[in-house]
Order: sequence, then C-alpha cells, then structure tokens
Amino acid sequence: MTIRFMMLGAAASLLGLSGCYSGFEADANGFGSGANGVTDGDPDGEDTSDSDDDVDPDDPASLCMDADVGPTSLRRLTAKQYDHTVRDLLGLDGGYTVDFSPDERIGAFKSNGNAAVVELQVEEYMTAAEAVAVDATTDLAQLLPCDAAEGDSCAEQFLAEFTMHAYRRPLESGELDRVVSVYMSGKDAGEGSVQNGLRVAIAAVLQSPFFLYHVEFGQPDAAGDDLVALDGYELASRLSYFLWDSMPDDSLFDAAGAGALADADGVREQVDRMLADPKARDTIASFHQQWLGMDELEHAEKDPEMFPGYDATLAESMKEDVASFAQWVLTEGDGRLATLLTANITLTDDPRLHAVYGVTPPAGRAAGEPIELPAGERAGLLTMPGVMAEHAHPDQTSPIHRGVLLRQEFFCQQLPPPPADVDNVPPSPSPDATTRERFAQHTADPACSGCHVQVDPLGFGLEGYDSIGAFRTEETNGLPIDNAGEIVLSDVDGPFVGGPELAAMLAESELVGTCFSRQWFRYALGRVEGDADTCAVDGISTAFNESGQDVRVLLREIALSSAFRFRKGEA
Amino acid sequence: MSQRRITPSTATPKRKNRGFSRRGFLGSIGASAALAPFIPVLESQAGADPLPKRLVLLFSPNGTLHERWAPTGTENDFQLRELLAPVEPYKDQMCVLDGLEVLRQGLGDGHQKGMACLWTGNQLNAGDFGGGDGGSAGWAGAASIDQAIADQLGNDTAYKSLEFGVQNGGATNWSRMIYGGSDNPVAAENNPEAMFARLFADLGVDTGELDRLKAERRSVLDLVHGDLEALESKYSSSDKQKISAHLEAIREIEKRNDLATPICEPPTQKYGFNFDANENFPAVSRLMIDQMVMSLACDLTRVASLQWSRSVSQTEFSWVGATRHHDLSHLGDEDQSMIDQITSINVWYAEEVKYLLDAMAAVPEGDGTLLDNSIVVWGNELSRGNSHGNHPVPFVTFGGGGGALQTGRYLTYDRVPHNRLLVSLAQAMDVDIQSFGNNDPGSGGLPGFFT
Repeated sequence: MTIRFMMLGAAASLLGLSGCYSGFEADANGFGSGANGVTDGDPDGEDTSDSDDDVDPDDPASLCMDADVGPTSLRRLTAKQYDHTVRDLLGLDGGYTVDFSPDERIGAFKSNGNAAVVELQVEEYMTAAEAVAVDATTDLAQLLPCDAAEGDSCAEQFLAEFTMHAYRRPLESGELDRVVSVYMSGKDAGEGSVQNGLRVAIAAVLQSPFFLYHVEFGQPDAAGDDLVALDGYELASRLSYFLWDSMPDDSLFDAAGAGALADADGVREQVDRMLADPKARDTIASFHQQWLGMDELEHAEKDPEMFPGYDATLAESMKEDVASFAQWVLTEGDGRLATLLTANITLTDDPRLHAVYGVTPPAGRAAGEPIELPAGERAGLLTMPGVMAEHAHPDQTSPIHRGVLLRQEFFCQQLPPPPADVDNVPPSPSPDATTRERFAQHTADPACSGCHVQVDPLGFGLEGYDSIGAFRTEETNGLPIDNAGEIVLSDVDGPFVGGPELAAMLAESELVGTCFSRQWFRYALGRVEGDADTCAVDGISTAFNESGQDVRVLLREIALSSAFRFRKGEA
Repeated sequence: MSQRRITPSTATPKRKNRGFSRRGFLGSIGASAALAPFIPVLESQAGADPLPKRLVLLFSPNGTLHERWAPTGTENDFQLRELLAPVEPYKDQMCVLDGLEVLRQGLGDGHQKGMACLWTGNQLNAGDFGGGDGGSAGWAGAASIDQAIADQLGNDTAYKSLEFGVQNGGATNWSRMIYGGSDNPVAAENNPEAMFARLFADLGVDTGELDRLKAERRSVLDLVHGDLEALESKYSSSDKQKISAHLEAIREIEKRNDLATPICEPPTQKYGFNFDANENFPAVSRLMIDQMVMSLACDLTRVASLQWSRSVSQTEFSWVGATRHHDLSHLGDEDQSMIDQITSINVWYAEEVKYLLDAMAAVPEGDGTLLDNSIVVWGNELSRGNSHGNHPVPFVTFGGGGGALQTGRYLTYDRVPHNRLLVSLAQAMDVDIQSFGNNDPGSGGLPGFFT
C-alpha cells in the first residue's frame, strides 16, 4: 500500500493555466506544486507513512486524512461499453450502436455523465435492444442452458441468469417475476412461442436502466453525506468497466458475492488478474486513443491531391497502431510511461502504414511483432502517424494543435481558446516561408503571445511530421524543416530539436507523470477530478512516480484508491 | 451461464440487416409515391376543428453578411438583397427581423453562448467544455422555446417534437441548440435512414403484425417504466433529474405506442451513402427536409427543427465553389474572396429554405396550405463570422401561423433582445407566456411582430 498521508497544496496545480492573456509571469504560479510536494517514499508498496496511525486500507479516513471524494454522477454506458457488454453477455459481436447519438466527453474521455437522455436516445436504445434480441434468439440451443423443449422452466432458468448478469448484481425480490411476466406476454403474442417470449424479454432487460446506467448507491445502510463503500457488485462493475471497458465476468461476480472485494487484497488480486486478461486490451486502446484525441481519426479530412493514399481505412490502421503499441508496452513490455513515450517501434501489419513509416518489415516477421523504426525519427505515442495526423490541418501541419495537445493532455494545463474576434485561419502555405515563419505573428503580437509562447514552440518541434504523420526533412515548398522547439512552464524546461528529443524530455518530467496519472483517474471514474479528490489523486500520482512510472502500478493504485472504492451517499 | 457464453470469435456475426420490427418492414412501403404530391391528411378537418399550428426552427451557422442580407426599403415596401433573393417568391409570407441582439450573459465563449442561447435565451450552466477566458461552460440552463411550446401543444400528436439535423457533430454545447431543460440537450437525428425508420417504418405493416408488435412493446415499456420509477424514488438532485427525463421519454413512447397509426404517405428515399461525409451534406439536407415536411403534413408532430451543421461549422461548400465555412468566416472584410464565398454559402442555405417552403406550400390544408398554418423561423448563432458578434443576429420568419402573424414585412429594431421574439413565437402558437429565458431583464413579446 503506497498511498500515503499527505497535506499538499496541490489544489493549485489542478487549476492549470487559466487566463494566460493576462500575462506570462502571472501564469507561472501554481505549476508543479503537486509534484513538488511529494516526499520520499517506498516504491515497493509497504506503507511508510510518517503518521503514527495504523493504515487500514479499508477505512477511507485512513487512506486519506479528512477523507473525501468528489461526487460521481449517474452515468450511462458509452457506445463502446454497450457493445462490449452485449458481446460478453450474449456472445454477439458489436455494431449495435452505430446509430446511437454521440457520447459526451468528460475531459478527453467518453463518459455520459452530464446530460440527461432525450426521447431520440431512448428510441435508439429500443431499436438496438430489439436487434440484439432478434440475434440472441436465432439459435436457442446456443443461447439456453437447458432444452428449449422444456418450455417455461428452461426459459425462466435462462432469464434468471441473464437478467442478473445484465443488471450486474443479484436480482431483488420480484424483479425476476417482472421479467418472466414480459416473457409470458411475448410468448402469448407469439402464439405460444418460447422463442418469441425470450426475444421480447431480452429486449426489455436491455432497455432497463439497470442495464443502461452505472447504477451505484453504496452499502445499503448509507445515508447522508457520508463517504460509503460501494457494495461488492458495484465495485466489480467499476473494476470491469475501468479495466475491460465491459461488464464483470463470473470470477468477478463470484468475488463480489463472496465479499472478496471488501478489502484491498481482494481488489488487488482482481486487478492483477484482469490486467492479464486479453480484455484489458480494449481499455488500453480506448484510453490511449481518447487521451491523444484520435479516437475518431477516421473523420479527419486530408487533401486528396496531397495525400492520395489517405482514407478512412488507413486512419483505422493508425488508430490500431496506437492501440497495439500501448498494449504491447503494458502487457509485454516493461509497462513504464517512459517506454510509452520513447520506444521507437510499431506493431502494425498494414503495408500502407509501413509506407507512411518508411519501413520494410524484416523478412520472416510474424504478424504483430514489433518493427524497429529508423533511428532518430520517432519516439513513442506522441510521434505516431495517427496522433500527428489528427493534430494537423488537411493540407498542412498545425503546430498550434500539436502544442495545445501537449499543454492540455500531457501537462494537464488548461488553455483558453483564442479571443473571439481573432483571425485564426492558418496562414496559407507559402513557397518561400517555413511553417514557423508563417506563424510568427503569434509570438510577435502581444495579444497572442501570452498563450502562444507556451504552445507554438512545442508544435514547431514536431514539424518533422506532415499532415498525415509521415516523417519529412523538407516542407512541401522544399525548404528544410526547422524543428527546433522549446518547453517552458514545466519541470523539464529547455530547448530541443525534433520529436525524439522532445519525447525524451517528457519522459523525464514528473509533471507529465502526474498529469498522466490524472488522465487515467478521469478515464477510470468517468469524471474530472475535483478539489475533494485531491488526497486520492495525489496519493495515486505519488505511488505512480515512486514506482518508476509503471502504468500497471498506476492502474492498481487507482482501483485501490478511496475515490474508486467509495462514494458520497445520496443526501 | 458462463459455459453458454460464447467467445466473440465463434459468435454468429451480427446480421447487417437489423431485422425485427422497423427496417425489416421497409420493403413493403418502399414503392410508395415520391414526395410530391402529399396526401392532404388534414384537409378533411377543414371546417371542423381549427387546423393545427406548426412551428419549425431552422439554423445555419457562422453568421451572415448584414450588408447583403438586410432588405432595403420600408416595413411594407422592401426589396430583398442577394442573400435572401432565393426566397423572393415567399416575400409576402415572410417577416425579416433586423436588429435583434442575442444577449450573452454568463459562462461560455461567443460560439457556445450563440448556440446555446439561440432558442433558450438562457445562460449556460457550469461544465467541462473548455470555453472563454480560460473558464469552461456546460449545457444550456433551461429549455428552448420549441420544447416549451411542444410541452403545451404536443400531447395530441405521436411526437411532441421532431429534431432533424445535417452533420451536427459530437455532443458538445457548440453543436446542440435544442434543450428539453437544464442540462438536457436534445440531439437531432443526423441519419436520414434511421429517421425514416423512426417515423415511417410502422406504416404499411400488416395490422395484425402491428398489433402484436405494439402489445410486445407495451409489456417491455411496462418493465422499463417500473424500473425507472423504482430508481427515481431512490435518487435525488441531478441524478434524479436524469431518471425523470428518461421516464418522461418512456411515457412519450408509451403514448405513441397506443396511438392509431397515422395516415401518411412516406417519401421515397434512397440511402446507402455516408450521411456524415461532407460531400453528402446537400443530399442529406433534402432527405431531412422531405421527411420533416411529411411529418408535419401527417400531423406526426407540430413542432420541428432542422439544424444544418453546427456552430464553428467547417462544412466545405465545394458544390458552390467555397472552402471550409468557419475558416472563411473569420477572414477580414477586405478579403473579396471571403465575401464572395460566404455569399455563395448563405445563398445555398437560402435555397434550401426555399425548397422547404415550396414543399410546405404544396400541402393543401383547408383553404390554404401547410405553410399558411405554420411559423418557420430561421436563425443563426452569430451576427457575422469575423466579429463573432451577437448583434444584429439575422432572423427571418415565414408563414402566417394560421393567421396569427401579419406577414410581408421588414421590421427593424435597435438591439432588442431576441428573447422577445421567443416570447412572441410562443404567443403566436397560443402558448401564453410573457417572458422567456433569464438573459432578458425585460418581458413581453417583440414589439410590432405579434400582438
């Protein structure tokens, strides 16, 4: 247990960079105080608190002094979670959510936590549930645990298990009766057909709020504003949607039922098991694609004359490239953030993406094996083609978007948008100016420079990657690339040249590590951290940094944190 | 049940044809007549009950060019300029409202407030959408006027309201203009095929089959309804609101499920293309307009909206020789190429409006047409793209609202809050309110527009 007592002034670091128009100097305040406040600790996990109190990891007040967690609002499944859940529930593979209204985002991540549903979305749920139910009941022998010829008794046996799994908790008194009553209505409407009854009942269960929402109350006797532990099944669901982007499996349900998730050891055991499961790849893919803003890269338009080979299929390969790389680091590699940020490999099998990388896979390479990339060109996630392509215009690069990505998602520093009356059309490509020269107004004009001196020099350093993320040494106009950049307002300030040097500096930054841990916190909880989470967030990032920034440790620490295992009772 | 749960690799691939109730039945109605002529569903009601009034909200983004939009002349004797020239045939049925200001108190940047305030006239809630001066803003804090009207008028129709959209983008406050209430953005349907299935798939289904389907859905809805009520009683505050909104949607669907299937002749439409691809923007626009007009003609709803793109739209208008809309809209007034392209874009939108008006005017109702019984309001989230201004935001109305509005007029105002227009729209639709939205300290309707 590496969560430690800390009284940090880290709230300031949560505030980020607001109001950079007011001036450069004023905004330097508050940076890195969270990271700097960290004291020495034991990376191996035994509690080394300076406090005299015994740490009981099952007592929230012991996890953090003045224990508190921010409110987690009622969330609906995301489209991906819906598809994955249907897959694990019924063995039906994906595609049911293509017509769903778009998910909300909380920070960089998909999470339906703010807006209430409207009629259209409820109808979308109806249509999807009906389609799933048709497919699920096509082959009753495959669906049912018993012989359909047994009739109602077999159907009820199936519905009891199915509904429990769909609601992700044991059924309360009367709930099964109501599902069976829908089955009977469907059977009657279908002139006695068990199949029809099951189809209608399955469609009903999939439209229940107990399926569609992450329903959480905490232990049944919780009341008032007290911090209460989630019950075992709620925690099992939090764990599975965090680490698998899907519902719990039987082992998790069993652990919940046996009370094994009530203590930290039980949670730790499940986390380790779940991270080793292939389903963890879904979460690793979703997190990294969303964090880097490229989970909808297939919608990015590129100039067809400049990039005739670019299309949605290549974009999908680029997304998969990011996913497979992160999966490799976290499951086969050393699991460290530094490796995510600096490793010079790809695992793609797509020849068109090999061409973008300018590599020929070695003869005899098996599918999915790492390919070493040319030295000095790439480093880790940031410089992958999909990330560079997402943060670029159709016909030119965008040092601004790339710089903002780094500020907001790597350093967790919120930037305001440009003033409302500014001309923010990128200057047109010119035959006799480099990108840097064309964007010079940003740093010359005092109205712009307050923010842009923090942003543009980061982006200029990535000029070696064109609008679809291919490495280049010349701009389109033939002028040599000027990719000298500079990091400011961080704990690794200084000049650099090109992506690999930038990535190496990011890998040295405790601020980046702290930000990365916050990003995972947001993904895991489906909400942005608030003041009440300071203790939990700081504990998590401390443990992460002390582990040498091992992401697997990070995920475990999040799952063990008070914010993850407890919630505020309903007032 | 784990032994029954099959792995994805061995699962039966999901059928591409989403069979069951909706799309599976499309074949039986696919051969129906083209859009025009409509069946005048409501004609028979003439002389009996008064014909229903309809409200249609239209949105196009990124501001206009006032000097090419505002008419010349006087209130009753005016000439349209080029941005409104396409709707010249409807000059007698329009009111050009010049000089309205969309007030922008509170959180949010210009685009966010322009969009969220357009039909709500209300401030935004706190939230996580990165916005002005380093802060952030959330969803609008109250219902939009169409939803407030639909709450009063929508109980007799299958849908209280219908929201049509063309490439509206993700779930952000830059891309949502319709609100059912605070923190309750109403997403428009962007997929014309899905909208068609929603509206028309039950038509043409064999009566016995439809009765069976409705009985099944009734029992499903019963269960969902009961679960939501159980949850609603356990939650408080914003979580309770979410469940209540879900419950309200279920009640609407239950109501519709119990209604007799309307008599309607759905338009013949072809799909099978990517409705989200830039190049298909014009095609989707026409499909949505056709469906919207039919849903009004058949009295499926009396309140509808059509949102073209969204605030900060980057639609690339290659079909009129223009590039990305928002980039263009930022260029300075000295840039003649910007002026020409923004003109082409806004003329294109006016032609779409004319297409809608043509279709509505082709539906006979009583002694007049569907258009005569409707109020169509066309708004924008900005006054002008390169200023991001909130004054004068261009508003035009079409149709007489069943005689409620005196049309054929050019009305000019000096920075009058557009909340007054929202109030007048409700009053013209027989919904008695005196103020709307917390942006406007005053109250009452828009002087001279509807009294």
